Amino acid sequence: MIYLDHAATTPLATEVLQAMLPWLQEGYGNPASEHAHGLRARAAVERARAQVAELIGASPEEMVWTSGATESNNLAIKGALEFRGLRNAHLVTSRIEHKAVLDTCRHLETQGARVTYLQPDASGRIAAEQVLQALTPETALVSLMWVNNEIGTINEVETLAPLLRERGILFHVDAVQAVGKLPIDLAKTPIDLLSVSAHKIYGPKGIGALFVRKRPRARLAPQIHGGGHEQGMRSGTLPTHQIAGLGEAFHLVGLSMAADAQRLTVLRDDLWQRLQVLPQIHLNGEGAPRAPHILNVSFEGAEGESLRAMLGDVAVSSGSACSSATREPSFVLRALGRDDELAGSSLRFSLGRNTAAEEIEQAAARVIEAVSWLRALSPLSGEPSVPHLAATANGGNTFAYADPIWQRFSAPEHAGALMGEGVLSAEAGSPAAKSLLRLQLRMEQGAVTEAAFRAYGCPTAIAVGEWLAAGLVGQKPAEWPQLTASRIRQALEIPDDRAHCALMGEDVVQALAKQV
Amino acid sequence: MPVYFDNNATTRLDPRVLEAMLPYLSGPYGNASSLHRFGRVARDAVETARAQIAALVGAQPGEVIWTSGGTEANNLAIKGVTDHATPSRVLYGVTEHPAVMETAESLKARGWDVEPIAVSHDGVILWDEFAAQLRLAPVKLVALMRANNETGVIQDVSDAATLVHGARAWLHVDAVQAAGKMPLDFSELGCDLMSLSSHKIYGPKGIGALIVSSEVELSPLHHGGAQERGLRGGTENVAAIVGFGVAADLAAQELVERSAHALALRERLEAGLREISGIEIFGAAAPQRLANTLQFALHGYDGEALLMQLDRKGIAVSSGSACASGRGEPSHVLIGMGIAPDVAKGAIRVSFGKDNTEAEVAQFLSALQAVAQSR
Repeated sequence: MIYLDHAATTPLATEVLQAMLPWLQEGYGNPASEHAHGLRARAAVERARAQVAELIGASPEEMVWTSGATESNNLAIKGALEFRGLRNAHLVTSRIEHKAVLDTCRHLETQGARVTYLQPDASGRIAAEQVLQALTPETALVSLMWVNNEIGTINEVETLAPLLRERGILFHVDAVQAVGKLPIDLAKTPIDLLSVSAHKIYGPKGIGALFVRKRPRARLAPQIHGGGHEQGMRSGTLPTHQIAGLGEAFHLVGLSMAADAQRLTVLRDDLWQRLQVLPQIHLNGEGAPRAPHILNVSFEGAEGESLRAMLGDVAVSSGSACSSATREPSFVLRALGRDDELAGSSLRFSLGRNTAAEEIEQAAARVIEAVSWLRALSPLSGEPSVPHLAATANGGNTFAYADPIWQRFSAPEHAGALMGEGVLSAEAGSPAAKSLLRLQLRMEQGAVTEAAFRAYGCPTAIAVGEWLAAGLVGQKPAEWPQLTASRIRQALEIPDDRAHCALMGEDVVQALAKQV
Repeated sequence: MPVYFDNNATTRLDPRVLEAMLPYLSGPYGNASSLHRFGRVARDAVETARAQIAALVGAQPGEVIWTSGGTEANNLAIKGVTDHATPSRVLYGVTEHPAVMETAESLKARGWDVEPIAVSHDGVILWDEFAAQLRLAPVKLVALMRANNETGVIQDVSDAATLVHGARAWLHVDAVQAAGKMPLDFSELGCDLMSLSSHKIYGPKGIGALIVSSEVELSPLHHGGAQERGLRGGTENVAAIVGFGVAADLAAQELVERSAHALALRERLEAGLREISGIEIFGAAAPQRLANTLQFALHGYDGEALLMQLDRKGIAVSSGSACASGRGEPSHVLIGMGIAPDVAKGAIRVSFGKDNTEAEVAQFLSALQAVAQSR
């Protein structure tokens, strides 16, 4: 398995685990307790606070612990607006923020706040000027990410910060993907609130922090009450081991940041270079300054789900992991003007400290193979297909398709095109799923002697093509009406949400029957 | 040898729990929401843990929502139920943990009437008064703890459920201290929401859960991401979740043994305390108390000063809630029970854990006697 999903999460650094272990063993005291056990734990918490502050040019007392960046973003945005009062409050953000910011803003809209969602330029970037133009006298807060998590573009937060300060508008920055990749100096950059996370930089999951500026003081209404921990801004027992791990992770990333950035930029550019042997691909975020660890590419003509299924041994992301459970096309790519289909055929490669040059080479080769194969299989592609398209490498059934689907998708024996006289050919499609199936039959003496299919669509659509082509050989047209959608579903164990693939199969058989 | 008698503040992580967590700290590191293979391993582990938590408290796995701890679970319950409702009343027990009390109080700013429920001198809800209070005006939510963190006093929550449902309100139960220390059955108790914490039952800090009946309409506290059915955004803390699950599983297996052990220690402690003059045990006459908890005052002594002297002798106890410690104010729990502030200021809470011994109780008693005699 080649792991290229570091923007989703990273492996825990060995040094970080070592820093955590004492607090999972002898150092179990509650940092809020007033005895020796508590005091030791509290000292570890404060050491970590200093380590985090150090990396981003803040003071330790400006760091508030949270359960992660999602909570940091919630606390910053809701906390600031609620403290100010939601009446007539206006806030400016962008369409390409993380869901944690967008969902929070949508929630505030239901509470009476007005929100402007800025559209990125064609390169996927939000410019300082755009933000300034959106400001109104009621604007209380601007929330913008430093680095976009899907395409890696860097927004002009450093230019923007002093301009917002001059205007007395609070500035929140989601810096989850920027920490450890770009230098951040809050002593020089007048950002008021800044969200950070540990598990994107080789620290533990379940811990993050919010920078809350002391001078001038950014004021927040707490979102979690009870006990008054963290200067009253965030209550709850502090998880010492998580905090110690976060501190160590920040410390480590500071040591290697410059070297890592240089190395990852070279690898990222190498990956893009290699992929360019494929025609009709698009670099998302092209033309904008980009963080060194993210490369996002759209592949025309290769259906997204099938592409991902063929790359079972290459861990990449098709959009942000936080939304991939819902399988919506990426809202970031749609905001860039990619249509749903192309957005769905996009992969995010995110590189990390341990990514090796050979892994980039292998991953590029696997992607090129997979895209080329899917394009050759597709009846939509202009390239002439071969009579028998051999199956290509796949990384195993990582996404747990039902066996009958996976077998036919991964090793079809009837992919390709039939040439010459006496070939029946029909197509059927499923407009909703943007899939298309072409089935060809050679008939001799009233029976099928040869069958082939081409398909564009998800693995299930491709499996339907293979199953029909294989099953039709030797059959007479009188037997074809038995190939109904329900029969196809049963044979391939097709789940409800893929029922349209079976219908497409029935349609194509019926279309062929009409030609007999 | 140092003596740790502050297990209601936090417990020592069970080495068996650590062992279960380690593969998820150093091994498969997927984001549980990612669809690729690493993510799937993480997702399976998260779902196993969910079933383990459900089993400990007699709930369905689908009713378990992960949080960053007991405090967040209490916040999610109280704010989640009231967020989109038309403001009416919220009632909470006067001896609730600050996470419940302060969260409920925060609703006043949103137009809610928020009222405490009175308790007796022994910390038990005054049921008749509570029933009358419920009838006064519509109520949306009642929050009551199963077992008090300071006194260990146990409330009869199933009686409360009948009353609360009769008033067409939801019942939220803070079971952070009760879980793993006494039998707990979410569906049998008839409550609608219940908060749990991992680090009170030898699991890791930074993870907890809210149990929510499917009938309750809940708004999220943290927006962003579809995790936890959209009720709690954020990347899952997989290692901690796995640890919490194993800790819950161990607590269920060892529940009888652990509470018998704690009760023996508490009886030994109570017997010893009775020999020291000027001792008052809080909640002593309550019908039910947690086996592991005992809160008392040594008359004429300041609790914080006593704590420091004991700490110097290597004994860790607390005056009450760790969250409120260091503020120098008398415990709101004791004040709520009608204990005089100068007596309440002398409070010491002893909370036993599964690894404490009779010898440690003896060590504590002789240290306390030495301090008491030096007055």
